[in-house]
Amino acid sequence: MKPIRIFSKSLYFWIRELHLYFGLFISPFILIFAISTILFNHTFKPWDKARVQETSASVEIPEGVTGGAEGLKPAKQILRQVGVSGEISYLRYRPKQNRLIIPVMKPGQEITIDVDLEKGAAAIKRRDTDIWEALFYLHKSPGQHNANIRGNWVFTQIWRWLADTVVYLILFISASGIYMWTVLVAERKIGLILLGAGGLSFLLIVYAIVA
Amino acid sequence: MPLRNGPKWVETWNRKFHIYIGLYLLLFVWLFSISGLLLNHPKWRFAQFWPQRKQSSFERPIQPPMETENLAKATSLMRQLDIKGEIQQITTHPEKSQFDFRVFRPGHIIDIKADLDTKRAKISQIQVNGWGVFRALHQFSGVRMNDPKEKRDWLWTRIWSLSMDAVALGIIIMVLSGIYMWYKLLAKRRLGLIVLGLGALCCGIFVFGLGFLP
Repeated sequence: MKPIRIFSKSLYFWIRELHLYFGLFISPFILIFAISTILFNHTFKPWDKARVQETSASVEIPEGVTGGAEGLKPAKQILRQVGVSGEISYLRYRPKQNRLIIPVMKPGQEITIDVDLEKGAAAIKRRDTDIWEALFYLHKSPGQHNANIRGNWVFTQIWRWLADTVVYLILFISASGIYMWTVLVAERKIGLILLGAGGLSFLLIVYAIVA
Repeated sequence: MPLRNGPKWVETWNRKFHIYIGLYLLLFVWLFSISGLLLNHPKWRFAQFWPQRKQSSFERPIQPPMETENLAKATSLMRQLDIKGEIQQITTHPEKSQFDFRVFRPGHIIDIKADLDTKRAKISQIQVNGWGVFRALHQFSGVRMNDPKEKRDWLWTRIWSLSMDAVALGIIIMVLSGIYMWYKLLAKRRLGLIVLGLGALCCGIFVFGLGFLP
């Protein structure tokens, strides 16, 4: 066998293996993104069984309480004191009212901590959300807004890394899929037609929207 | 490759659909994947679009619309001003005969402030670059989860949201057909199960597990 042929056979083998295993790994992630897309697109939640629970706690106010990224450290200290974990969405500091509001999000829970900085008291409102809201949250997490503070929880950072990995693997899988399709002589013609039809419909729709 | 016994036509067509759907949706999948990546990294410098936005404003004469319903009024004004897109944020000030609304389409944000007494409209337009368009296409559905009153009112928003559904449904079919093809490969079943299980475990922790943390 010629060396080029051996190389292309082995290349095909490895591309096929990686296509298969990478595809299997990202399958559950793709299902999360695809299902939540359909629900987002129709503002539809199959059921809504959010449960709200309100508690209070006394807190020792740390130094440097403020809004924005600078206020993240003291806000995290407050979270530790009241036993709450999750991604801080933003910080609303009201110096005139001596209040700090910390909305915290994680899949399955939305928590708002309203801190009275004068009395050192925190009102904690927990909203237990359902699986659909967890999917919505994960689809949008960490999100484009408040970029200066987002990714302030270790699990958000991990999710961001996983979501990035899913995108890179999708790009690999689609490129390797094209490579494997080109090898299938019998599917070449119909494949070319579908690739062209898909590309054309994409370009036409995007052009109509943007132009 | 050893295949388990099963209806041959199911295997053949499952494989064909996997290829065909993948090829048809290729550009859509690339758009949503890469724009998702950009949304995940709003600080990436090369993809900044807001600081580079172009703003312009001008005034035009208008004919006060005869319609009584707000959406119809906005549509009539858009036709007069030759503006297209999805209508958002209609605000009326009856005491001042003022009728304001926003028109959005990826790449363009247009605010229209129409004075129905003086028959003039002030149009303020923001135009963003290709990266902004790219990101907006990812999110352009014409509806919002926290605003059930908002409805799609532009034909192309409906078509785009239909495309989003088709892409989502298409990739769900691709995932399922891929799993089916793998399952038929006896030699790959064990390693495949480990890899699929690992992916499912990661997702399971995030979807179900984190809610149990204090």
